[in-house]
Parts: sequence; structure tokens; C-alpha cells
Amino acid sequence: MTPGLVVSNLSAGYGDVSVLTDVSMSAEVGVITAVIGSNGAGKTTLLRSLSGLLKPRQGSIRIGDAELSGSKALDFVNAGIAHVPEGRRLFAGMTVEDNLLMGAFARVAPLAELRRDLDRIYAMFPKLAERRRQDAVSMSGGEQQMCAIGRGLMSRPRVLMIDELSLGLSPVAVDFLVESLKTISSDGVGIVVVEQDVAVALDLARHVVVMDRGRVSKAGSSSDIAQDRAIRVAYLGVD
Amino acid sequence: MQLAQVILNGLLLGGLYAAMAAGFSLVWGVLNIINIAQGSAVVLGSYVAYFAWRYAGLNPLLAVALAGPLLFGAGWVLQRFLIQRVIAAPVLITLVFTFGMDLILNNTMISLFTADYRKIEGVFPTVPLHFGALTLPVDRLLAAAAGIGVAFGLHFYLHRSRLGRAIVAVRMDRQTAELMGVRVEIIYATTFGLGLAMAGVAGCLLAAIFPTSPLNSAYYLHIAFVACVLGGLGSVLGAVAGGLLLGVVESLGALFVGAEYGTTVAAVVLLLMLFTRPQGLLGRAGYE
Repeated sequence: MTPGLVVSNLSAGYGDVSVLTDVSMSAEVGVITAVIGSNGAGKTTLLRSLSGLLKPRQGSIRIGDAELSGSKALDFVNAGIAHVPEGRRLFAGMTVEDNLLMGAFARVAPLAELRRDLDRIYAMFPKLAERRRQDAVSMSGGEQQMCAIGRGLMSRPRVLMIDELSLGLSPVAVDFLVESLKTISSDGVGIVVVEQDVAVALDLARHVVVMDRGRVSKAGSSSDIAQDRAIRVAYLGVD
Repeated sequence: MQLAQVILNGLLLGGLYAAMAAGFSLVWGVLNIINIAQGSAVVLGSYVAYFAWRYAGLNPLLAVALAGPLLFGAGWVLQRFLIQRVIAAPVLITLVFTFGMDLILNNTMISLFTADYRKIEGVFPTVPLHFGALTLPVDRLLAAAAGIGVAFGLHFYLHRSRLGRAIVAVRMDRQTAELMGVRVEIIYATTFGLGLAMAGVAGCLLAAIFPTSPLNSAYYLHIAFVACVLGGLGSVLGAVAGGLLLGVVESLGALFVGAEYGTTVAAVVLLLMLFTRPQGLLGRAGYE
């Protein structure tokens, strides 16, 4: 097990409001980790802290040997963290291909290398190849999520973080994305997924972190979490 | 035939307007700054062309290569170290800021160069080209073509280059651009630099045809503003379309209503446009 991202004792918030308290978790390379929890549990704030959009108050964020806590977003990208934000947030008015190329902005790679990476993304998501010249936000929600994930992969991340994978998408699109993420992770990328649909999260992830009111309330393998009675009652509505 | 000649004259004028409006529109769209100093920056570009011609005999169309980089650098530094401090403030604050910049720049030019009109002469052939009954002054043709050419160049830079794409991305979604590793303050500085560079280029082209004086700056700002709103805020191609439309409307207004009413007719067209299509010719609704 190669440690990718290691978060220890992280606290963060906005202004006077404290959102995360003493959060510790890790995401291994080649493993899918799901973060679940009710609305307001701090999942999105956690991802924002882990991509440098929000400066944490305390704690450490390490990837490999690099300490990133307090660094800028660019340093997080360079260290190998990609963040697919909630709602996809594709660049409107830009083509699918330009959106993907924006994902590689920090790399300053030669064009031939970028072309190869684009072709890999197009092979994984053939729909994007068909629509490469189209305005990215004119696509369906599922296609937009493919584009957002592809954009994240274009930075060649060690850890890819996805906020709300399935929100608003059709079940067919979610199944396809779940299979794609499993392939991506088996290629050696660590994946962190924030997911409101706990059934999807348990199917997708090997490791699950449960958050409650800004703290990690439970963490373990997805089979352990799936057996947990409190989780089953609270999130799956079964006893 | 007179009508065709008037429309042609309008298009030639419009090519210059396009260059003036393109940078203004880009800065407004990306930084949400209404740069009141744009007109004075155009005049500064004209002075670069004038003095380069006066003391080195440089063709004003080639002075573009001098004024462009010079104003780009000035704009970059200005944005990075000064305007950046108030960039997050409401648009009225940055408006007052650029208004102050305009006062300083314009009065500096008046005290250095006086308000006298200076004219570049003897560079272009004075005999116009003839196409049937149409007359085409060489200097105006070259200047308009250069203006439209540079504006298209800016458009392709924004859509085909790595840094250009980042400028568009920052405009669309600043925070997500940050997630891609874009340093927003550098993009802002580059964008403001490009805006002033376009003003400098437009100034050189204008100096090839018209006399230069700091007193022109308010008129140039008016042109940039109207062309930008006509064409659609933040769109470079929109600024080209708006510039050409404005040139033609002014010329037709002068023909049908009277020479002194050209600008008034243009203002009426602007009002009609704001009533019927507020996003402009090529703009998109809801961008700003």
C-alpha cells in the first residue's frame, strides 16, 4: 500500500465559522476512497482544503514527502492532486478539448505529449471524442462529468478528488462512471470521491471515511462500513 | 454609388474602432474593470508613433511593434502591483481608480507634449486607389486592415494558445481556473497588459491618419465604450463587429442627417441595441 495523500489533524473553516475539526484520513495510490456524510458534514470543505482553495487553520496535508498545508492551489496541482469540483464547473464557451487542455495547464508539456494524453482520455470516454469541438456545457450531465474527470486526469495526478460524482446524473451514466473510475484507479491513481449516494459509494470504494459535523466519525474498509448498523440505519434506511 | 462610398469609408473607420475597442472589451470582460484610461493609452500609442516617425523616420504602421510591447509592459506592471490591490473591490472603485489613472496620464502628456495637434506626413502616397467609382485612400486602407488584423490576432491568441485559454478560463470561472494551477494575478496582469497593448496599436494606426493630441482621448474612450457594448462585452470578435458597425452608422448618420450628427446617430443606435439586444451583436446573455 503506497500512501498517496495523508491528512493529519486538519482544522479549517470560513471566517468565524469552524467547519472541519481534527480530521485525519489518507488516500492510497491505486485505491478508491469514498467520503460520505450528511449535508453540512464538511465534505466539500475537506476537498477545498485538500486542493489549496481554502487555507486550513491547523494540521498537515502531505503527499509523498511534500508538506502542502498553507500552499497555493498551483502547488497542490504540481504535487499531484487534481480536484473535480461539485457541479463539474466546466469552462462555458470553451470546447471539450480546450477544457481538457486547461487541465494540463500547470504541466507546460510539449504538444505531442498532450495529444497522447488527450487520446487516452478520448479512448476512455469516446463520447468526448465525438464532441471535442462542441461547447462543453452543451453536453448532458453525464458527459460533462466525463469531461470534468478527464480535465482532472490531464494534470496526471497521483490523487484525483471528485466532489459529488453522481449528483443529478442518470443511473446509466453513474454505472459507466463507476466502471471508469475503477479502471483509472487500477492504473495506479488514487481516487477520493465525495458521494451523497451511499449505495454507490459502498459499491465503488475500497475504503470509506464517514464524516459527521466536521469530524471523521468512522473509517474503514467498505465491507466493514456496510456491515455497520448505525450506518445502515442512518444512510441506507435498512436495519 | 455615393452610398457605397460612404459605407466603405465607415468600414475603414470601423477597422480602427475595432482595434480601440478590442482591448477595452477584453479587460472589461476578464477583470470587470471599465478602463477609463483606455483613451489616453491610445493617445500615448499615437505619440510613440509620432516621435518614432519624427526622430527615426519610422512608418507609423511599423511603430505598432514598438508601442504594443511598451504599453503591454506598462499595463502588466500597473495591474500586478497597483490595480491588483483593489481588484476585488466593487466595479465603482476600479472605475474611480482608472479615472484617476486617466487624469494623471492625460495631464502628463499635456504638460510634456502640449495640447498641440501633431500630424505625421509624407509617409503614404496621397493619391488614392480607385475601384470603379470607389475611392480608397492608401493610408486608411492599410490602417484599417492592420486594426482588424491585430484584433483577429488577439482573438486567435485567446483561443489557440495556452496562456490565452487560461485568460478565457479565468473569465468564465476564476476559482476553477485556480484549481487547474492558473495563477490568477498573473493572468490579470497579462490581460490588462494586452488591453493597453491594443490601445497602443490603435494609437499608432490612428496617428498614421489623424493628428495626435491628448484632447482626443475622451473621444477615443467613447468609441471604445460604444463599440464594445454594441458588439458584446468581453468578446474580441464582438468588438470588431461593434467597431465596424459603429463606423458605418456614424458615416451613414453624417450622410443622411448631417455631418455634425454622426456621433448622435451612433448613440441612438446604441440605445436601440440596448433595448432590443442588450448582450450585443456577438455577446452572450448572462455573462456579466
